Amino acid sequence: MASLVAVQQQTQPSLSILPSSLSDFNGTRLHTQLQCKRKVWQTRGALQVTASSSKNILIMGGTRFIGVFLSRLLVKEGHQVTLFTRGKAPITQQLPGESDQDFADFSSKILHLKGDRKDFDFVKSSLSAKGFDVVYDINGREADEVAPILDALPKLEQYIYCSSAGVYLKTDLLPHSETDAVDPKSRHKGKLETESLLESRAVNWTSLRPVYIYGPLNYNPVEEWFFHRLKAGRPIPIPNSGMQITQLGHVKDLAAAFVQVLGNEKATKQVFNISGEKYVTFDGLARACAKAAGFPEPDIIHYNPKEFDFGKKKAFPFRDQHFFASVDKAKHVLGWKPEFDLVKGLADSYNLDFGRGTYRKEADFSTDDLILGKSLVLQA
Amino acid sequence: MATIASSFSTLIFSSLHSKLSPPSLLSSPHTSLSSSSSSSSQSSLFSSFLSISPTSLTYPTCSRRLSASTFTVKASAAEKKKVLIVNTNSGGHAVIGFYFAKELLGSGHEVTIMTVGEQNSDKMKKPPFSRFSEIVSAGGRAVWGDPAEVGKAVEGATFDVVLDNNGKDLDTVRPVADWSKSAGVKQFLFISSAGIYVPTDEPPHVEGDAVKASAGHVGVEKYIAEIFNSWAVFRPQYMIGSGNNKDCEEWFFDRIVRKRPVPIPGSGMQLTNIAHVRDLSSMLTLAVENPEAANGKIFNCVSDRAVTLDGMAKLCAQAAGLPVEIVHYDPKAVGIDARKAFPFRNMHFYAEPRSAKDILGWHATTNLPEDLKERFDEYVKIGRDKKPIQFEIDDKILEFLKVPVAV
Repeated sequence: MASLVAVQQQTQPSLSILPSSLSDFNGTRLHTQLQCKRKVWQTRGALQVTASSSKNILIMGGTRFIGVFLSRLLVKEGHQVTLFTRGKAPITQQLPGESDQDFADFSSKILHLKGDRKDFDFVKSSLSAKGFDVVYDINGREADEVAPILDALPKLEQYIYCSSAGVYLKTDLLPHSETDAVDPKSRHKGKLETESLLESRAVNWTSLRPVYIYGPLNYNPVEEWFFHRLKAGRPIPIPNSGMQITQLGHVKDLAAAFVQVLGNEKATKQVFNISGEKYVTFDGLARACAKAAGFPEPDIIHYNPKEFDFGKKKAFPFRDQHFFASVDKAKHVLGWKPEFDLVKGLADSYNLDFGRGTYRKEADFSTDDLILGKSLVLQA
Repeated sequence: MATIASSFSTLIFSSLHSKLSPPSLLSSPHTSLSSSSSSSSQSSLFSSFLSISPTSLTYPTCSRRLSASTFTVKASAAEKKKVLIVNTNSGGHAVIGFYFAKELLGSGHEVTIMTVGEQNSDKMKKPPFSRFSEIVSAGGRAVWGDPAEVGKAVEGATFDVVLDNNGKDLDTVRPVADWSKSAGVKQFLFISSAGIYVPTDEPPHVEGDAVKASAGHVGVEKYIAEIFNSWAVFRPQYMIGSGNNKDCEEWFFDRIVRKRPVPIPGSGMQLTNIAHVRDLSSMLTLAVENPEAANGKIFNCVSDRAVTLDGMAKLCAQAAGLPVEIVHYDPKAVGIDARKAFPFRNMHFYAEPRSAKDILGWHATTNLPEDLKERFDEYVKIGRDKKPIQFEIDDKILEFLKVPVAV
């Protein structure tokens, strides 16, 4: 049975900076700290309007990729942040480029609730014992994982969900917009069902739909796939014409968007596509990765995937189709704007991750060798 | 959409907090501002805002600019303007002036449309010119003349706004611009082209992206910016709409109704932007009615969705209720000029109308699946489905590909 690692709480009227993250607690019901929902204006010569005071935030997940960045932003904002994970990965890891001081500060404040979110009874009991104000659901895949959370927190102020642009129905009319048809049969239908559940419950929810996420610590081999080949001086095999258009969004911009919807009336029951402002062709992405990492322009080989049997292996990390979404709604409604353009973002990823010798998956050029070996090259 | 309250609170912020700039497309610098990060809650002066202090973070978060959606719709919307449209006498852009004239007249503005050339020329027998009576009966004035002698054509009339929907280079537009300036025209608008964007790995083309320095339109855009205090430039792509002077969807219908294969160069995945001309007209009208907002801006004059070339063929077929057979070919291998064989560029040619949405609060209404049904109905109504057509280039392509054609 997953253990309840709870937290000492002090009632404080404003920002709460909790001293210890891992002190055990013997299961007594925690009461949430006092919240000042709205602060009165404090004029200090200039206009100063401060946010609603710190929230008691639960992140489902938070130790792998998006949540690593999001949790830092939230802690810096002065919120009390708890990560709900099974504890398989370290609760905190120092980010490349993060100072020891910042890391120590963050580690001292972040809280951990150890458990398996598939254990619905535990989720319900542990969450209702703590009474969070806001839940960020970063790793939820199925609607049944969400119901116990909602049941446990009837006074929840906001449920913020990491969905996916993968829910959109494939179309010849692009970009995808939040009002477009969704595909109930897609691989991501669990995300759709979760969004529907949120809509049907009386909860203030917000859903963000990223496209392909990239950045340091990415565990999906998106940019890493290109970097492995560039480093090895290998050609980049790209299926079909290479003019398929995709879209990458930097994880830090996504984290910023997650923060920006917190307590934001404009985000109430709204879906937002979050990704880069510009899209990119497959061929263009190969070139952008090379440029960002300081490699020479790559040799691109086009091939017809139908002429090969790759077995269970993926020969290319993207869907072989156009796939991109408009982020206009987030820009107009939230005033959100990505900080990273593609080359700058890829450089950030390279400089903080792959370029330092770290990556998640070993290079596997077996499918490349099949392609190159057959010497079947499509004319552009 | 903007509200009066939004603009009011914007004014308050501007006066009290010098770091804030008026709503614009540019991000404010990432300094530590304690004011609102966005449009949230600007409607009420006493609601709270999300305050983020970026300076202590090691990486930047969201931009601190005021929301671009809080544009102010000023009283000039109610002001009626006298507008002169200098219109081309042929080609894909001709229909823009036709719709724009009618929309302005519908909104109560005064319109003169000056078409280049002679009233009795053969070109005037084709749409939209053949339908100019619609402009006249709506209260507009139609004249003909030489862009080098606009004053003569309009017989001394004065205008608040001039749209040049004719010239592709400085030689053709300069006389119109110069005359407008000397005649006291307040706002000058120019139909340029999204074709001037430099091809990119990172679509879409957005306003501000690099353009081909040698393009004639670029010279015009620069000149206008130099001599006018109030100007705006519009860069369109392709259009559909009743009264079009140039074939667009008809090219697909011609083949689909005759059960001929549709030859598309390359992969068919090329994205393009095909807008209903009413969207271009509404954008232009917003610029006329919001000159301060539009001033000094470039607008991609396109709908908010791109379509693949294959997709366009499929949508045309769906609109016609008929099947379609698409064949792809390599123009070089066949030995033909793709520009003669096919009405769209054989590459991604894809711009998005971001400035119009950000700055003018414009929205696209183009709905290709629906709009193409209406277009097909008209195609049949005028009997074009029965018209005998030669498909010489198609036949050459199909022969090369050894694709049979049912007779």
